[in-house]
This record gives sequence, C-alpha cells and structure tokens, in this order.
Amino acid sequence: MPNRDEDRHQQFLRAFTTHEPAVRAFVRRLVPSRADADDVLQEVAIVLWTKFDEFRDSGDFRAWACGIARFKVLSWLRDKGRDRLTLDSDVVELIAVDSIRHEPHLQRQRDALETCFEKVPSAERELLARAYQPDTKIHDVAANSGRSVGGFYQWLYRMRQMLLECVQRVLAGESLS
Amino acid sequence: MKPDREFQTLVERYVDGQATAEQVAALSERLRRDAAARQWFIELLNLDSALAAVALGSIAGMDDSDASPQTPIEITAADSTPSPTTTPSTSPAPAPMPESGSASTMFFRLLAMATCVMALVGGAWWWKASTSDFATVRGGVGVEGLADGRGLRDEWHEFDAGAVELVTANGARVVIEAPARFRFESAQRLHLIEGRLAADVPPTAKGFTVITPTGKATDLGTTFGVDIQQQGEAEIHVFEGEVIAQSAGGGQRRSLRDGEAFLLQNGAGASRRLRTAAFIRPEEVGSMHAGLKAGQHARSAAALAKLRQDPALIALLDFESRELTEGSFGIAQGRWPGSRAPEFANVGDHMKLDVGGSREWPQLTLAAWVRLDRLGETFQSLLHTDDWNENKPGQVHWMVTRHTTMRLALFGNTLAPNSEEREDFPDSRTSVLPEQGRWMHLAVVYDSARRTVRFYLNGAFDKQTHQATAHTARLGAAQIGNWDRQDRKLSGRIDELVVLGRAMSDEEVRLLFDAGTPYR
Repeated sequence: MPNRDEDRHQQFLRAFTTHEPAVRAFVRRLVPSRADADDVLQEVAIVLWTKFDEFRDSGDFRAWACGIARFKVLSWLRDKGRDRLTLDSDVVELIAVDSIRHEPHLQRQRDALETCFEKVPSAERELLARAYQPDTKIHDVAANSGRSVGGFYQWLYRMRQMLLECVQRVLAGESLS
Repeated sequence: MKPDREFQTLVERYVDGQATAEQVAALSERLRRDAAARQWFIELLNLDSALAAVALGSIAGMDDSDASPQTPIEITAADSTPSPTTTPSTSPAPAPMPESGSASTMFFRLLAMATCVMALVGGAWWWKASTSDFATVRGGVGVEGLADGRGLRDEWHEFDAGAVELVTANGARVVIEAPARFRFESAQRLHLIEGRLAADVPPTAKGFTVITPTGKATDLGTTFGVDIQQQGEAEIHVFEGEVIAQSAGGGQRRSLRDGEAFLLQNGAGASRRLRTAAFIRPEEVGSMHAGLKAGQHARSAAALAKLRQDPALIALLDFESRELTEGSFGIAQGRWPGSRAPEFANVGDHMKLDVGGSREWPQLTLAAWVRLDRLGETFQSLLHTDDWNENKPGQVHWMVTRHTTMRLALFGNTLAPNSEEREDFPDSRTSVLPEQGRWMHLAVVYDSARRTVRFYLNGAFDKQTHQATAHTARLGAAQIGNWDRQDRKLSGRIDELVVLGRAMSDEEVRLLFDAGTPYR
C-alpha cells in the first residue's frame, strides 16, 4: 500500500517538523550542551518514526515525543554521563517534569524571542548569531570581535540576561492586554 | 523571581560548557531543592534553544531600508517532504507511484526519511565544510560577471540576461533568472529586488530567507519559487512542502501547501494559480549551460535564418522585436540568455496575430517552442483562428488538450473510421506532462491531399492520424494563448512559432528541434 506509506510518511514529517523545535528545546534543558541535544534528538527522531504506528492521530504528538525524549535522555545520561559533566539524573527528572508542565509558557517565550532578537542592535545581533551557529568555535568568534575569550563569555551572559528579561517583559505585556 | 548573581553565573557557565565538576555538582544541588531557581534555569536554557533557532536563520546585520521600503511580509515554509537531496526528482510532477515492490519502496522511504531526519537534527554539517562565503556560484547560463566557483558575500549583483545557480553555505540550491538584482546578507538571507528565483532548501538550510520589495520569505526546508512582478509585488509558489505567508501590516499568517501560490501585496494578498513554467529549476541549469556552450544559440539562429528563406513560410515569430504584437501578455526570457518570449499568466492573456490571409493551404506545418504550466483539466491554446464556423471549413485550432496531448482540429474535418481518438479530433499519443515546466518543441504536419495529421514532440515523430474528410487549411485572424468562445488558455511562455505552408518531413522536424533546443 504505497499510498498509505506515503501518507504516513507525510504525516510524520509534518508532525515532526511542527514539533521539532519544542522537542529540541525540551532535550536541551536536560543535557549540558546544544551538541549533546543534537545527538539525543537524532536518536529520538528514529525512535519516533519506528514507533509512529503506535501513535494515534488524535494524540498529542509533542507530549508523546517528549515522553520518548525523556527516556532517551536518561539512557544517554547513563551511557555518557560518566565522561561528561551532567546534572544528577534525579535533578534532570525534576527539570523534565517542570518543563512539561510549563511548556505552553516556554513556547510563548521562544516565540517572543524573535521579537526581542530583532531589537538587538545589528552589529551585536550578528555577533550573537555567529556565536550560536552550529559548530562555531567561540575562540574564533571572540577573536574576530576583538574580545578575549573570557570577555566574550561575559558579553554572552549579559546578552542572554537582557534577552530573557525582554522575553519576560513581552509576555507580561501580553497578559495585561 | 530573579535568583542571586552567584547562581546565575553558575548557570551561565554550565550553559557554555565552562563549569567545573564542583560547579556542576553545586548546580545540581541547588536545582534539586530550589523550585524558583529551577524555573529560572529552565527559562534560560529555553532561551538558549530559541536563540540557536533564530540564529540559524539570521546571521548578518539585516535592516536594509532602501531595499524594502514597505513593511515586510513574512512567509514561513515548513517542510513536509523528504529533503530534496534525498528525493530522486524535485520536479513538480508527482513521482509515479510504484505498482509493486512496496517492501523495497518502504525501505527506500525509511532510508530517505532517516537521512532527512538526521540532516534535520544533525545540524548544519554543511557549515563545517563552508568557507566564509555566503554562497558560491555553481553554474549559470549566460550571466556575465558571475563565474563558476565565485564566492558571494554581502554585495549587490545585477544581470539582465541569463540565469545563475548558487549554492548557499548551508546547502540551499538557488536559481535566479534575469533580469535580476540581488544581494546575500548572509548564507541564510537573500535580498531579491528584481527577478525570479527557485530554491531547493534542504533541512540543513532551514530558515533560509528571501527578502523581496513587498516582504520576506523564510523557508523551513522545501522547494519554492519567488517571482517579483513588474509592480514590485512578489508571488510565492510552493512546489513541495508547506509555506506560511504573513501579509504586511500585521496580517494573518497564511499557510500555503504544495501546489499553491500567493501574491503578496502590502497589507493584503491574493491566491494565484501555481505556475511551474515560470521558474528555471536547479536541475535545468546544467543542461541549459551545456547547450549554450555547445553553440545551440548560434545553430538556432542559423536554422531560423534558413527557414526565413523558405518560399512556403507563412509566419515566423521569434518575438525579439521590441514592437509588441497586439494582445495582453507579459514578456519573459526566452530559451536564450537575454532573448524575449511572451508569457501568459493571467486569465484572458492572449496575443493576436493575422497570418495566412484568406488563402487556403493544402499542406501546413505548425511548430513552436513552449514552456507550459501544469494546469490539470484545461486546454492550452497554441493557435486558435477566430472564424471557427461552418462558413469557413478548414479553420485551424492547435492546442494541448486536457489529456495533456496535442490536438490539431480543422473545422469540418472528420476522423477516419476506427480512429483511436477519444474525441472527434486528431490527438497526439504521448503526454507532454513530463515536459511541463521545461522548454519543449511541439510540431504538427497536416496534409489535406493525403488526409493525414502527423504529430511530433521534441523532434520525434509521435503519431499519424487519418482523416475521412480533410479540408484545406485556413488561417487568418487568430489568437495565441486564448480563444474567446471557450476556455482555451495558455499558461506559460511561447518562444518561437513557425507557420509553414508546406509539409515538413520527419527529418526536417527533427533538425528544427536539434537546432533549436536549449538543452544538452
């Protein structure tokens, strides 16, 4: 039944593409780095596809995917945790539970970031974007910007704090109107 | 509630992979017992993810007020198909569904899927391989100044003829057709002020953005086209995938799926019919370039010059004259860089011509280079004479039918018994469907004495149909691209039209095609 396979495949890709940013963000909160999140998400994606037949169309894809991602993170922590500086697994569980509970709020924060990002002066925005490209070497970005590595991390902290405050302000404003 | 400075620093160091073992242990301890601290931690890491996603789509200083005077309109495309790099064909034709072997098909799909997903989640491995250039020229047809292999950074480029193929640092394949003016702001952001663009965006280039005079288009991995019209308004055509368009002035976001098109206007927009033929796709550029290199343009010109000497020639329209023929149509590029071809896009678009006078033609050859849109259940008019009625038997109607075959109808002619035609007129056998969206050569040869109609597609003989009644052919006032009395629209471009008052041989038609094809 190639047609049904095709449809199923399309359904999966549509659902996965729609929810991938949320699942990625969920995994990111549980592992030390964005690169670790990429590794885990790769495995999660394959499990999601192989188990997609068990997923009911009426179900919540995001919740289902986050459930699978949670298990994958825990097994990743067991395998890789010894070589990496990770949070304790009971703490990771707590974060996972809180994350799922607050996902609608976190989604709004992610959406609001786009607005806040646009408000950053263009030179700093570009620098920030370079620092966040996949596989970027912070040393190189720092050197290009004329800062020391330590100074660059300090600058990154400030930018993130500023953006987080902006995001919180945007959402506070929304809830008033 | 904002936590203390010391905790914030701890989190920041952890986020950047700078924390020591002791610091990570301290962080674990704090997060275990302090729910408010945990909330702040979750929000900061959430921001980290969102920042990475936003950064992927934007790495340069963006505002370019002179280039986009109006409020930008945002379009977001979501991929719902496998990456173009894993799809065997990126043409808009739905790939034929295999009849059997579903197990191997499934395996292929899974493989393609896994590759796609890995590319999606694996991040931009392209990035590693990329240079500091935003994009690299990977081919082109007759564009001066943009040589193969040239790296593009933040500068304006402009060309009046030809088409150029570019690959961005993230792997998006982009073809831009003249007349065009563009500039990369980054590997992921392209300003297009004038021109036509077709893009194949793999998951590695998710977030690729095209900024047009009426807005910007952000793609999340699909194939789509952008056509900036003369008024500066951009049309978005989605070949595969899903696009979300947002009008200026805070309009609603709008989702466009495969096969849909939308005209972006400031503060509004309107649905359009998908025009596949309007865009040169990446897979077409290579063979066009090879054709040009092989001297096809000169061969074509020589063949036309020879044809002009043919005493039986009734008309040869190459549309290069600046004096426009009467009608309603646009002008786009023809088969050669900088050449001109009328383009029919809107309902009622047509070109008027009056050839052949009141003479009767015992033999007739009609040939044209066309680039047709995929229209489904309609006829595409190639040449429709006006006086289609019983007083004028032999009036000629030439078209592509709704069955995607070619038809030559002469008023009053009848089919020979036992004809395989489904309707009352001679039709070709081979569908033109696979050629839609590319340049193709259509020809038909009529002989009233032999009572035959012979069809040719891309120079190859297709089929002969016998007529029981065969009037001599009549031309006169006619339209290309439309017929007023019934829905006969042409959607696409027509580059060369030959009307010859004698029957060409198979060999002559083949030579006409060989000399005129832009491909190699």
